[in-house]
Amino acid sequence: MVEQSTGFGVLSLLVFLPLLGAALVLLTPREAAGLHRVLALATTVATFLVSLWVFAGFQGATYHFQMVEFVPWFPQAGIHYRLGVDGISIWLILLTTLLTALSAWFSVYVRERTKAYMAFLLLLETAMLGVFVSLDMILFYTFFEASLIPMYFLIAIWGGERRAYASLKFFLFTFAGSIFMLIGMVALAKLHEQATGVWSFSLMDIQSEVANGRLWAGALQTQAVVFWAFAVAFLVKCPAFPLHTWLPDAHTEAPTAGSIILAGVLLKMGTYGFLRFCLPLFPDVVANQVPILCALAVIGILYGAAVSAVQPDVKRLVAYSSVAHMGFVLLGIFSLTPTGMVGGAYQQLNHGISTGALFLLIGLIYERRHTRLFADYGGLKARMPLFAALFLIIMLSSVGLPGTNGFVGEFLSLMGAFEASFARRFGLHPAYAVFAAAGVILAAVYLLWMFQKMFYGPITSEENRRLKDLKPWEVALVMVFVVFVFWGGLVPSTFTKPMEASLHAARMMALNPVGQRPDWRNLELEIDPKGNLVRVEPRTREALATPPNYGEVVVPAEKHYPLAKPSAETAKEQPRA
Amino acid sequence: MDPFALIWWIVLLPLAGSLVQALFGGAVVRALGPRSGKRLMGALAVLPVAVGFLLGLALLTAHLEAGAATERVVTLAPWIDLAGLKVDFAARVDSLSLLMVLVVTGVGALIHLYATGYMADDRDYTRFFTYMNLFVAFMLVLVTADNLPLLFVGWEGVGLCSYLLIGFWYKDVANAKAANKAFIVNRIGDWGFMLGMFLILACIAGTVSENQTDNRWLDFGYILPKAYTYLADRPELATAIALLLFVGACGKSAQFPLYIWLPDAMAGPTPVSALIHAATMVTAGVYLVSRMHVFYVLSPVASAVVAAVGAFTALFAALVAFGQTDIKKVLAYSTVSQLGFMFVACGAGVYWAGMFHVATHAFFKALLFLGSGAVIYAMAHNQDLRNYGNLRKYLPITCWTMFVGYLAIAGVPPLAGFFSKEAILGGALGSRHAAASLAVWAGWVGLLTAALTAAYMTRLTMLTFFGREERWRRLQPAHGHGHGHASDHGQHYGFGHGNAGAHSHQDPHGFFLTDEEAAALARQEDDGHHHDLDPSHRPKEAPPSMTLPLVALALLSVVGGWGLQHWAKLETFLQYPGLRMLPQGAIQAHPHGIPLLALSIGAAALGIAYGWVVYRRGLPKGEGFDEERWHPFRRWAGRQFGYDDALVQTGVQGGDVLANTLWKGFDAGVIDGIANGLGALACQLGRGLKVIQTGFVRSYALLMLAGGVALLAYMVAVLMRIGGGN
Repeated sequence: MVEQSTGFGVLSLLVFLPLLGAALVLLTPREAAGLHRVLALATTVATFLVSLWVFAGFQGATYHFQMVEFVPWFPQAGIHYRLGVDGISIWLILLTTLLTALSAWFSVYVRERTKAYMAFLLLLETAMLGVFVSLDMILFYTFFEASLIPMYFLIAIWGGERRAYASLKFFLFTFAGSIFMLIGMVALAKLHEQATGVWSFSLMDIQSEVANGRLWAGALQTQAVVFWAFAVAFLVKCPAFPLHTWLPDAHTEAPTAGSIILAGVLLKMGTYGFLRFCLPLFPDVVANQVPILCALAVIGILYGAAVSAVQPDVKRLVAYSSVAHMGFVLLGIFSLTPTGMVGGAYQQLNHGISTGALFLLIGLIYERRHTRLFADYGGLKARMPLFAALFLIIMLSSVGLPGTNGFVGEFLSLMGAFEASFARRFGLHPAYAVFAAAGVILAAVYLLWMFQKMFYGPITSEENRRLKDLKPWEVALVMVFVVFVFWGGLVPSTFTKPMEASLHAARMMALNPVGQRPDWRNLELEIDPKGNLVRVEPRTREALATPPNYGEVVVPAEKHYPLAKPSAETAKEQPRA
Repeated sequence: MDPFALIWWIVLLPLAGSLVQALFGGAVVRALGPRSGKRLMGALAVLPVAVGFLLGLALLTAHLEAGAATERVVTLAPWIDLAGLKVDFAARVDSLSLLMVLVVTGVGALIHLYATGYMADDRDYTRFFTYMNLFVAFMLVLVTADNLPLLFVGWEGVGLCSYLLIGFWYKDVANAKAANKAFIVNRIGDWGFMLGMFLILACIAGTVSENQTDNRWLDFGYILPKAYTYLADRPELATAIALLLFVGACGKSAQFPLYIWLPDAMAGPTPVSALIHAATMVTAGVYLVSRMHVFYVLSPVASAVVAAVGAFTALFAALVAFGQTDIKKVLAYSTVSQLGFMFVACGAGVYWAGMFHVATHAFFKALLFLGSGAVIYAMAHNQDLRNYGNLRKYLPITCWTMFVGYLAIAGVPPLAGFFSKEAILGGALGSRHAAASLAVWAGWVGLLTAALTAAYMTRLTMLTFFGREERWRRLQPAHGHGHGHASDHGQHYGFGHGNAGAHSHQDPHGFFLTDEEAAALARQEDDGHHHDLDPSHRPKEAPPSMTLPLVALALLSVVGGWGLQHWAKLETFLQYPGLRMLPQGAIQAHPHGIPLLALSIGAAALGIAYGWVVYRRGLPKGEGFDEERWHPFRRWAGRQFGYDDALVQTGVQGGDVLANTLWKGFDAGVIDGIANGLGALACQLGRGLKVIQTGFVRSYALLMLAGGVALLAYMVAVLMRIGGGN
C-alpha cells in the first residue's frame, strides 16, 4: 500500500513557526534588543495560540494519532516526514508552548547578546515541539538531538560561573545516552524489514507489526537489548538515578529561562519516550523490566530528596528535587496500572508547572540580588510579602499539598504503584510503594527548609532590607502558574480525560498478548471511556473526531486492573455472597 | 431547597471569608485606617464562622427531624474522575460529622471573636484571619468529607494552616523551625494515612465485581460496610489498615512517638493554640479513628495498640507537664495528655466516649488557652509561670472563668470534664472488647493520669492567680527594648550614604527602595513593638471582645458535659442502627466491683489536694529560676525525659550527615568520578591518537565523529546478529 502525501498541516506550522521567528530575529540588527524581545515574545505567543488551535481540534476519546501529516522523504530507507498527536503528546505540546512563551516574557531581563539568546530560545522550541509530534523515528531522533544544541549554548553563554563544565556535561551525558537509542531505532527498522520486506522508521508501522507479533517473531532474544537501548537514553534524560548528575549542574548554571525549559520540558522528553517507545514496542519484555525501573524510580525519589535537603544553593536544591519528582513520574508509568499511568503522565505536567514556576521565582529574586546562596537570603517575607505568598503557593504545589496539582499526580502515581505491588504484579513488592511514599515526607523537609531559609527570620543583609516587592507584570507572570496549580488540583479531569484513552492503549500494547493489542494503524480498534478495548465501525483517520459507536469488547479494562484478590479469599467469598 | 445542601455553605463560607481577607484585607485596612479597618475585617472574619454555626444548628434540626440515624451525602462536583477511580467533592451529613461541625464552628467563632481583640495591635491582622478562616474551612472539609482522599484534603489543609500560623511571627527563626517541625512530623503521619488509604482501596477494590468498575469505591457508605464483609476473617489486613491509619492519627493528634511537634507549636499566637492545637485540629485523629472504627472493631490487636499508646501518652505528657514553667507549654502537654485519654476510649471500643471528650475538651481547653492568652496579654507577653502570682486581683474575669476551666479539666463534678472522663474510664475499666486486658490497664493508667492532671492544673492555677506574692515585682528592671527586638531594629538607620549612592546608580529596574522609602519603612516598623515585663508593670484585664468568649466557654464547660450526656443523649445520638457505626460500649458503673464515681472523684480530689498543699503559698523554693535546685526528676521531666533531644539528634543531624555523604561522597565522588574518569580517558586516548596522527585530532567534533564511526560499526554488528537470528 502506498501512502498518499497529506501535505503540510497545522502541526508543521506549530513546529516551524518558532524557527521562522528565529530566522526573523537573526535578520534584525545586533543592537536592537527591544526588537529581539518583542519578536521572540510575539513568536512564542503565536505558537502558543497555534497549540491551542491544535488542542481545539483534538479528540480525547480516541487513542489514535490525529492530525497526521505524511510527506514522503527517503522512501528507500523508509524514512518519511510524519507527524501526529495523541493524548500523551498533546499536553506536552501545550506545556512546551506555554512555558516557552512565559520564558520569553521573563527574558526581558536578559541584556547581553539578546539576538543570539532569543534565536536559541526559539530554535529550542522548534526542537522540543518536533520531539513531541514526530511519528518517524529518525525525525524524532533529529529533533531529540537538535534540542541539545540551543540548550548547550544557552547554558554555555548565558549561564553561571561554572557554565562551561555544566554545559559540556549536559551535552555529553544526554548525547551518549541517545546514541544507544539510535542503534535501537535502526535495529527496529531492520526488524521491520525482516518481517515485511520493507524498511520503515515509522512508529505506526513498527508498532503495528509488533502488535500482530510478526516483528519480534524471529528476534525475541534481542528484544530486551533494544528495549534497554531506548531506556538508557530516556533514563539519562529523565533523569533517573544514577544517571542524573548532569542535571544539578545544568539546572543550576543555566539562565532562568533555560532552567524553566530544562526542568519543565526537556526532562519530559525522557518520560515521554518511555510512553511512546518503551511501552508499545517491547511487549514481551516490559513486564520483566518493571522491578528494575521502579527500583530506580524509588531510589531517585529518596536519593534526590535526601541530597536536595543539604544544598546550600537554592537552584541546586530545586534541581535535585526534580530528580525526586521525576521519580514519581517514572514510578507511576511503570506501575503499569491505569491509575498509576495517568498519575505519572499527569505528574509530568505538574512538575513542569511547579518546578518551572519555582525556577521562575528564583530567577526573579536572582535578577535582584545576583546570588543563589541561602546564606545571602532570609527574612524576605518582611519586604516582599507578595513574592512570599506566591512562592508559598508554588512551593506547596511542589510539596504535593492536596488541592494543588502536585497532589493529584503524586497520589495517583503512588496509588498505582501500591495497587500493582500489593497484588505482587511484575515481581513488585509493597516495599516499593512504602518507600516511595516516604518521599512525600522528605519533600516537605527540603522544601520547607528552603522556604524558611529564604523568607523567615530577621533580614541580615543590607541589600535585602531595601528590596521592593514584585512588579505587577512579574506578578501576572507568576499568576499564570498559580492558576494552573489550582486548576490542576481542583479540576484534574480537564487534563486527565483527554490522555486516558492513549494511556490505556499504551498499557494494553505493553501487556496484552498478540491479537489483543491495540494497533496504531488499525482504526477498527478503539478504547472506550471505561478503558475497554473495543471494536468499532471502520472509519478514516480524518473521521476520528466523530464519537464512535462502540461495538464488541475485545479486551475488557478490568482484565488488567491489578486487583488484590488473594486466592483464599475468592474461595471464601462465594458462599457468603 | 434541600436543607442538607447547607453543608456546603457551611464549608465554603469560611473559604470565601479567607479569600476576602487575603484579597481585600490589606486594601481595606489602608483605606479605612488601622482602627476601623481592622474592626471591619475582624467582623468579616468572625461572620462566616458564626453563620456556619447557625447553619449547623439548622442542619441539626433537619437531621433530628429525619431521625438521628439517617445519613446523607451531598455531592458538590466531581474531583478525580478516571475510568477506574472516581472521587467526588462529597460531604457527609450524619451525627458524627454534625457534632464535629458544631464544635468547630461554635468554638471557632468564639475564638475568632477573641482573636479580634488579641491581635488588634498586630500589623499582619488580615493575614492572620486569612489563615484562621482558611483553617476553619479545611477543618470542615476534614470532618464532612465522604471519602478518604477528600478527608485527606482537609487533613493536610489544616496541617498547612497550622504551619502558617505557628510561623505567623516570621521574624523569629525559632517560630519557623517550630512550624517546619509541625508540618514534617505531621507528614510522617500522613505517610501512614496514605498507605492505609491505599490498602483500603486495594482490598475493597478486590471485592468489586468486574463489571462494576464505575463504582465509587471510596465513599464511606460503600467501603465501610464492604470492610465488614471482606475483612471479617482477614484480621491481619484489618490490623494493617488500622495501624497505618493510626500512624496518621498519631501525627495529627500528637500521640507518643510523634507528639513532639505540639509543644513547639505554642510559638504561634495564643488564639491559634486554642483553636488549632487544642480544640479542633488535634482531635482530628480521634475523629478519624471513630470514623474508620470498623477496622479497629475488626482488629483487637490494633485496638490494643491504640489503647496502649493513648494511655502511655496520657501519662507521659502529664509527667512532662510538671516540669514546665511556660504557661502555654503546661497547657500543651495537658492537651497531649487529654488526647491520650480520647485514644484510650477508642482503643477500649467506647468510641462515643472519645468523641464526647473531644467536645468537652474543646470547651474547657479552648477556655484555658484563651484565659492564658488573656494572662499573657496582661503580662506584656511574658509566659513564665514563675513571674506570675496573685493575678486574681487584677484579672478577675480571666481568673474565675479559667478557674471553671481548671475544675472542668481536673474532673470535678458536675463540670464537663468529669462526665466525659468518667465515660472513658468506665468504658476502659469495664471493657469487653477483645483487647480487654490492655484496655483495662489503660483505664487504670488513665485514672492515675486523672489524678496527675488535677495536680499539675492546680499548680498552674495556683501559681498564676493565687498566692500573695506578685513575683514579677522581683524582676530586674529592663533596659529599653526587650532583647531580640533590639538586634532587629538597631540596624535600620545604618544605611551609609556611600552605600546608598551605589544603589541609585545600579538599579535600572527599580528593584530597590530609595533612601527615603527605606527610612520611612524603618520608622514605621519601629512603632509596632511592645515592651517587656518589668517590676512596675500593672496587669490590665482584657477588652470585652476577649472576655466575652471566656464567659461563653466557661458556661459551656459547666453545662456541656451534663448537657451532652443526659440532655442530648450523645451516646445514642452517635449510634447507627443499620451499621453499628459507633458500637455501643457500655459504661460500667461498677467496674471490678468498685463504684466508678468514687474512683474518678477520688482521683481528682487527690490531685487537687496535692497541688493545694504544695502551691498554696506560691512558688516553692525548689522550682525557682535556678533549675539546678530542681528535683532531678522534675528537670528530667521538663526535658521530656530526653526524648525530643534524642530524636532531633538522630533524625536531623543523622539525616544531615547521611545526605551530605550521599551528595559529596556518592553523587560528586562516585558517579561524577566515573563520568569524569571516562572523560579523562577519552582525552588520553585523544592524546594518544595525536601522537600518531599529529595535528588532526584537535576538536571535540572530530572525536565525536570517531566515536560515531565506532558505534556505527557496533550497530552493523548488532544488525548482523539480528539477521543471523532469522
